Amino acid sequence: MIADVPIREIVVPATLDEAAEIMRARAARGASVSFMGGGTDLGYGNSPERVDTLLKTEKLTRVVEYAPSDQVVTVEAGLTLGALQKTLAAENQRLALDPPRSELATLGGLLATNGYGPLRTRFGTLRDLIVGISIVRADGTVARGGGKVVKNVAGFDLPKLMVGSLGTLGLIATATFRLHPMSERREWHAVATRSLRDVRTLCRALLDRRLEPSAVIALADANACATYVLFEGFGAGVESQGAKLREVARDLFGGNVSRVDARGGVDAAALAEGARTYGNVRLRISTPPAFIPSLEHDILAPLRSAYRECRVVLYPTIGATFVGGFPREGDRFVSALEGARAAAEAARGNLVVVECAEPSLRERIDAFGALPDSFPIMRRLKERFDPNRRLNPGRFLGGL
Amino acid sequence: MILRTAETVDAQRELAAIVGSENCIVDPAELRVYECDGLTGTRVRPLVVVLPATTEEVAGVVKIARRYGLPIVPRGAGTGLSGGALPVENGIVIGLSRMHRILEIDFENLRMRLQPGVINLDVTKAIAAHGYYYAPDPSSQSVCSIGGNIAENSGGAHCLKYGFTTNHVYSATVVTSDGDVVEIGSPCSDAVGYDLMAALVGSEGLVGIVTEAVVRILRTPEKTCTLFATFPSTDEAGNCVSGIVAAGIVPAAIEMMDKLAIEAIVKSTGVDWPLDVGAALLVDVDGVEAEAEHTAAQAVEIARASGALEVRTPRDERERQLMWKGRKSAFAAMGRISPNYYVQDGVIPRSEISLVLREIADLCAREGFRVANVFHAGDGNLHPLVLYDGRIPGQAHHAEEVAAEILRICLRHGGSITGEHGVGADKAAYMGEAFSEADLESMNFVRCAFDPHAIFNPGKVFPTPRLCGDRAGAYVPHATEISEQAGRG
Repeated sequence: MIADVPIREIVVPATLDEAAEIMRARAARGASVSFMGGGTDLGYGNSPERVDTLLKTEKLTRVVEYAPSDQVVTVEAGLTLGALQKTLAAENQRLALDPPRSELATLGGLLATNGYGPLRTRFGTLRDLIVGISIVRADGTVARGGGKVVKNVAGFDLPKLMVGSLGTLGLIATATFRLHPMSERREWHAVATRSLRDVRTLCRALLDRRLEPSAVIALADANACATYVLFEGFGAGVESQGAKLREVARDLFGGNVSRVDARGGVDAAALAEGARTYGNVRLRISTPPAFIPSLEHDILAPLRSAYRECRVVLYPTIGATFVGGFPREGDRFVSALEGARAAAEAARGNLVVVECAEPSLRERIDAFGALPDSFPIMRRLKERFDPNRRLNPGRFLGGL
Repeated sequence: MILRTAETVDAQRELAAIVGSENCIVDPAELRVYECDGLTGTRVRPLVVVLPATTEEVAGVVKIARRYGLPIVPRGAGTGLSGGALPVENGIVIGLSRMHRILEIDFENLRMRLQPGVINLDVTKAIAAHGYYYAPDPSSQSVCSIGGNIAENSGGAHCLKYGFTTNHVYSATVVTSDGDVVEIGSPCSDAVGYDLMAALVGSEGLVGIVTEAVVRILRTPEKTCTLFATFPSTDEAGNCVSGIVAAGIVPAAIEMMDKLAIEAIVKSTGVDWPLDVGAALLVDVDGVEAEAEHTAAQAVEIARASGALEVRTPRDERERQLMWKGRKSAFAAMGRISPNYYVQDGVIPRSEISLVLREIADLCAREGFRVANVFHAGDGNLHPLVLYDGRIPGQAHHAEEVAAEILRICLRHGGSITGEHGVGADKAAYMGEAFSEADLESMNFVRCAFDPHAIFNPGKVFPTPRLCGDRAGAYVPHATEISEQAGRG
């Protein structure tokens, strides 16, 4: 089942040709089709109206082409990020993406949900890493966009358009990504911040001191707030940045900075991932970075009170905040979410998206909230790619 | 042949009422300026050029165009090299050059809100004193505009590390073909729904008219190290590029110039580069000081190990700027060594640079042309310049054919027909060689979602005229759409 909706049929194509054949056959009989990769984000979005066919990509796991000297790789959608990283590591390269559950999550699923982790600070999201795509459209037609070179402006940018489209425009069959070299050194540092205001002050200081962290994570309890900073690169650069971070923290907070990834230390990335996957109801709040000091009072505090237990993690340089936990009874949570959305909207169009919710709650809330004024264009896009509304119907924004 | 019927005279009168008659150009002599963009070989005289000053004026112009059924060609600074702003006969050109204000600088969130006519370099100039810059830096940056950059997804030398325009625009105010004003994207980290910004940036004027954009600005790196290295031939220079990348370095830029390009640059700008070399590389590495210095030292070693004849580093910022000025004036410099030249823009996998350069050299020799190469080696974006003499009958056409053949070489090596100049009018014919019918149909879906009336920039990008009328079947709306909860946001 996907979000309490029964699945009539599960198909597991072994090749891309087979996948296209399945899509054609389901089109002929008007069946709805939803897609599933590693199943790590099945709770994302609204409940689908129906799932006649669930197409699993678990057998589409080939590395189609890997050219280390060009730093480009093409893979089938069912390959997990973890497996891809292992292949790339042998050539001292990586896909610069670190979403939660990367051992299970597939590239196709990550593309569909726009999955990302703290490395977004430096490397952006999948839209900044994808350079080519092939999709199987609703009618079974295979279409490509982009290519296998990193610089390319020939035609409309289908690869980026598919990022975050939640399986509503087509089956992502293969994708081509630009890669980055593995760093010679990477170091996580913990900074003793006390509040989100401190976190923001720290981020601002990193910028003004011209430091270039690959990631910044803040774990925010109601009363405490720990910040972790990742530096990557060659040894000389990482060391000098670590030293400057110590100066900055001393000047700002009189506080300590400690290396945390040494033996026996804290695994900051694992802590953050733990918070991002915690609980059965999870929210993502997107704000401009400068809004972060107001976040606790305006949005987080009311939300916290609607959870029996929750964890909050921020990527403060980006302006992404994740809240996950076990909510109190439904009414209270629904009104807290509505309150948070209103507060967010009042503060310059910030967004609160439900990343995951238990079925009873889903019926009462919309995962995405208010529609943007560009929605008519989105609806026309859906109409063109999927005129009979058979691909993951109802799951995306505004019932698309 | 321009049609001036009673109807078009009415249309012109209405347009003039919106933008003011001084901003509504119909005089044939004045229209000549707008007959082409940077692709000067092809010219079309439009019916009228309007120069609106506000989003509302643009919307008003679009509504009139719709009513009279007149196609619209948006135009930025007119520096594009693929004919993206080439007018359509009996159509309207909307020039955005009067909308050139910087509306907001937000250092806290690293954003700037701009009108489309702001010149690329003026964005950085406005914030440089505070230690910030706007990353995309096309060679034409002192004259090209942000609106045009968005339409073309402009790159530049430094996009190797920092990405293209598409990686640096958060949101945009767009006038649609219905004359509606729509916000696309989000000032927040994530927008909801489809990534319409992905479709908008690089759409070459086919989906709407950007009247405001929020772009990302960056902190100027603590340190930038530049090195200039010369090599016996492009083979050694190509090996040096591969070596730098293989060492795990992500340079901000790696530019290559071959012998003929160096000659033209030296003659034109007077830089003191040696003429008795086969190729030169100009490399920028940047970042925190210790990192930049370390990687620069490594790059120098790699250049020497790859057979560099000489490696120079600039003594000061002035000398560094001079080196880059040499590189950025390369196209213009060709005038010193040839009466005419045809700029090509193709992409190949970086590892095949040496191979492809040799194929191009062989092709040009066979066809009796000289070819100069100056290009973004780090991302395999070639700019072969086919030199010819337009006074010799047939040579211009022959040079164009040779340039087309170069694109086919790029495609055979798994590359692309354009890395940054766009498809426009110039390369529409080659799209069918690069993409299948299904690929192009999917791209047309995107265009039609934005512009169901197909009034924006018709005849560009797609190899054959495409309409938006046909649909595979009746759309089945969702319950919330029927109840009008959805779709009114």
